[in-house]
Amino acid sequence: MTPCTGKEGLAFFGCDPWWLILGKGVVIFAFLLLSVLMCVWAERRVIGRMQLRPGPNRAGPFGLLQPLADGIKGALKEDIVPRKVDKFIFFLAPVLAATPALISFAIIPLGPVVSIAGHKTPLQLTDLPVAVLLVLAMSSVGVYGVVLAGWASRSPYALLGGLRSSAQVISYEIAMGLSFVAVFLYAGSLSTSQIVSAQAGGGTASFFGLFTFDTPSWNAIVLFPSFVIYVFTMMGESNRIPFDLPEGEGELVAGYHTEYSSLKFLMFYLAEYINMVTLSALATTLFLGGWRAPAPISTVWPGANSGWWPLLWFLGKLVLFIFFFIWLRGSLPRVRYDQLMKLGWKVLMPVSLGWILLVATLRALRNNGADTSAYLVVAGAVVLALLAGSFVWDAIKGPPPSAADEPEPERPAEPEPAGAFPVPPLDAPHYHGSHHGKEVPSGLH
Amino acid sequence: MNSVSVLAAPEIHAPPVEFSQLAPMLIVFGAAIVGVLAEAFVARPARYAVQFPLALVGLAAAFCWTLWLGFSEKPQHAAADGAVAVDGPTLFIQGTILVLAMLSLLLIAERAQDAFTAQAAALPGSEAEQESMADGGIQTEIFPLTLFAVGGMMLFPAANDLLTMFVGLEVMSLPLYLLCGLARRRRLLSQEAAVKYFLLGAFSSAFFLYGTALLYGYAGSVRLSAISAALSRSGGSETLLLAGVALLSVGLLFKIGAVPFHPWKPDVYQGAPTPITALMASCTVVAAVGAALRVFYVAFETLRWDWRPMMWGVAILTMMVGAIVAITQTDIKRMLAYSSIAHGGFLLTGIVATSESGLSATLFYLAAYGFTTVGAFAIVTMVRDTTGEAGHLGRWAGLGRRSPVIAGIFAFFLLAFAGIPLTSGFTGKFAVFQAAADGGAVPLVIVGVLSSAIAAFFYVRVIVVMFFSEPEPDAPSVVTTATTATAVALGLTATVVLGVLPQPMLDLAGQAATQLFVR
Amino acid sequence: MDLYIPVVVLGVLAFGFAAFSVVMGSLTGPKRWNRAKLDAYECGIEPTPQPVGGGRFPVKYYLTAMLFIVFDIEIIFLYPWAVAFDQFRGLFGLIEMALFIVTVLVAYAYVWRRGGLEWD
Repeated sequence: MTPCTGKEGLAFFGCDPWWLILGKGVVIFAFLLLSVLMCVWAERRVIGRMQLRPGPNRAGPFGLLQPLADGIKGALKEDIVPRKVDKFIFFLAPVLAATPALISFAIIPLGPVVSIAGHKTPLQLTDLPVAVLLVLAMSSVGVYGVVLAGWASRSPYALLGGLRSSAQVISYEIAMGLSFVAVFLYAGSLSTSQIVSAQAGGGTASFFGLFTFDTPSWNAIVLFPSFVIYVFTMMGESNRIPFDLPEGEGELVAGYHTEYSSLKFLMFYLAEYINMVTLSALATTLFLGGWRAPAPISTVWPGANSGWWPLLWFLGKLVLFIFFFIWLRGSLPRVRYDQLMKLGWKVLMPVSLGWILLVATLRALRNNGADTSAYLVVAGAVVLALLAGSFVWDAIKGPPPSAADEPEPERPAEPEPAGAFPVPPLDAPHYHGSHHGKEVPSGLH
Repeated sequence: MNSVSVLAAPEIHAPPVEFSQLAPMLIVFGAAIVGVLAEAFVARPARYAVQFPLALVGLAAAFCWTLWLGFSEKPQHAAADGAVAVDGPTLFIQGTILVLAMLSLLLIAERAQDAFTAQAAALPGSEAEQESMADGGIQTEIFPLTLFAVGGMMLFPAANDLLTMFVGLEVMSLPLYLLCGLARRRRLLSQEAAVKYFLLGAFSSAFFLYGTALLYGYAGSVRLSAISAALSRSGGSETLLLAGVALLSVGLLFKIGAVPFHPWKPDVYQGAPTPITALMASCTVVAAVGAALRVFYVAFETLRWDWRPMMWGVAILTMMVGAIVAITQTDIKRMLAYSSIAHGGFLLTGIVATSESGLSATLFYLAAYGFTTVGAFAIVTMVRDTTGEAGHLGRWAGLGRRSPVIAGIFAFFLLAFAGIPLTSGFTGKFAVFQAAADGGAVPLVIVGVLSSAIAAFFYVRVIVVMFFSEPEPDAPSVVTTATTATAVALGLTATVVLGVLPQPMLDLAGQAATQLFVR
Repeated sequence: MDLYIPVVVLGVLAFGFAAFSVVMGSLTGPKRWNRAKLDAYECGIEPTPQPVGGGRFPVKYYLTAMLFIVFDIEIIFLYPWAVAFDQFRGLFGLIEMALFIVTVLVAYAYVWRRGGLEWD
């Protein structure tokens, strides 16, 4: 390896000694596996609390060992390989799903330059000039795992789950890719460490020359629409509630991994949670200032952004995001597939493109010496005027006809067409046991 | 690369783009994009009424601009930072393509006898197909697709570097692949043609790209002039160069349809809707030959002692195979396809000449042949029976007795293909052969004359069938409509005028050729 | 190239782990043969016969895949543009990209209006 002296920027990353690279790699690998265990535990506990029950609390303190126990149990289960599957691809798919999920984390900056055993090295496995592209590429490769799993299973549920999942992931990948553009525009780079340093300090802006103020530095605030779009696509990419259609158990059993069992199933499970962690880490890096301390802390405590402390800020933000994932799962229902695709293609994508053009226009004007804050004020006024206009319009038009006002549609007297499969009337009372006459109204048990 | 070096990074200035010189292409592409928008936002019944005038006006405006560019005596040079060369030959070829495209558009827009399927997505023979037919709709996407194809054809021979040329090639080809599969009748044949064309076309595009890559490896640039400069320096790897030239030639010769890269041509010409066949037989050939002219005249001129033997072989094979195999054809479109292959061979003799007279002769030949072939295919669309176009030659028996005018015009077109004096075909062939003979390719000329004689045999055979045999009782009738008749009339006029009074057009081609290619 | 070595290291580690797990899974577990277990799982009913080679699936997925390619390529053009944005002098970079985006949006409008984005 080349000596690091005198190198800065990206070149600094290529000069770790081999043992440090290996060490960092193993640590990140272990961190990811551990974080999966913690995520599973946290998810079950938090959702338990949200649903007014304790959640797992038997194995270990607070049930902390429960995911580990589940994992070991999973490994000792019978590994069923159905007769008709395409054996090679059936074995390959879980590997293809898990490997890229683990690789993506390589470019996440966990902290600034620290000293490890006398070597100055950044708290990041590596950084590339195209770092964010690596994450996108890996998530695309991960789709192969999903779609091949569905394909190799030779089962309709698995095939449909795989197709749906891949269609969903690639649809949301477009909106996700577009949400990054504004970030790159601001950072002037695709490298994660430079995106973090670009969020180090905000500039100043003046309000028509009357007074100046410090602008916030986090992209989540500066590029708020991008951040919102990313959060939506993050849900879509990770195949989790409210976008977990591929494994909608009501219709597709378990989706693409219906036929998988034992450790092969655990690989998909692992990949899903690692993707969640990686997406959260990427959100932290691109939008929440990465490992940099949140605003008040760094002002009062200058040392907050050096040494090992940033790791704490990073993990804090990461945990916040993961909690957000779990929170959503605890509170939201699943959307329909057409709604999901509609959101991705008809809302997120055009909004992203429009936002990119807006950001680029403002930036181009500023680069050419125009005072953009005046434009911003004008634009804000226009938006406010539009909102006010729509409010007035609604007020004039009166409230929309609500569903309750509409007359109940007449029920057809003959609910089933002739020759159809006989189906019992759906609102019939349910009978339990042999106690004739003991009725339980439908839907109440 | 840290933040400091980003700030110090070189500034990017706007490259010069000569919009006025690129305007013909931009107009065509702009009309195509407006056409796509019209597809999206105009109600279905009104689409045809929007699309056809839009396409025609777009082509006409582009043609007027080309004329203006051609006759204004501006110093012309490579435009758009050297990516597109707008020079005499380019303008001549673009003008030719635009006029021929307008003629083809008249055939494409024919509504009395639809050549295009009402609903391309409906399975052949399915109920959905029946419904869409009964609906009376038409797949109006054909107009924007045609415009995109024409735009690509205009860029292809104008491209001054191999990558732009490849972009032009793809923009030209992709809509054509699609258009080939849209025939209203015998849809399976049409779709088969589209798939064959697509697969073979993609294959040849790959050859073109490999060739580009190898030449880049040799010259360090994809710019044609830079390749030429690297050749005169004569350093670098000979293997890379020759392999690159060979692969690039495969890509170009495929589009021309030269033997041995011709087998797609009869199948595609037969399966495609006849108006699209007319477009391909005229405009695509013009564009492909134009691109081949530019590559061989600009980039490889100093290398001509190396590629000429290969081109000789290809030209001889093309002329002979086209003429001989055409004799055995029983389908009129297939016969015209083989005739088109043979004409590709005649055009190659013009390329082999590598001289100014060869260039001007080839340009003239392209224009003359294009008009004749559009007219011939227009007549093919007019001869119909209950199953659509009467493709089999036997069905044309006695046409001369039932519709002497149409049969007479068709016979005249066939004589023009054969190169009989007082037709444009004669003037074109004469010019090309003369240039080739001056360039020292006398054997090539002898083969050309021989193959013309063979070709004349099967052209005359069709004439004999039309005029000297009894019509069948259910013989096809001739359906004349305004748009098709206009196309035929224009094709006929051009064929006659270029045959009887070729001098103005020859002068124009010569004038275009004297500017030669800019570098 | 030094920058990419750690990615390869982590990739080898990850691949090794995943492959090891998948192989181990088939070795550690018990084996109890049951004919029904080897059929595709369809909630207990007889499995639907699957055509050889997987059969055909709805054309909607192909359409989505093709649209994905179109817009993914658009993104690939947007990234270098965004990174180099501050180096553009004047409004040239902005106008060029706006033209490009509008051109793609024309195709997008066509697909939308023709129902290419509808799922049912």
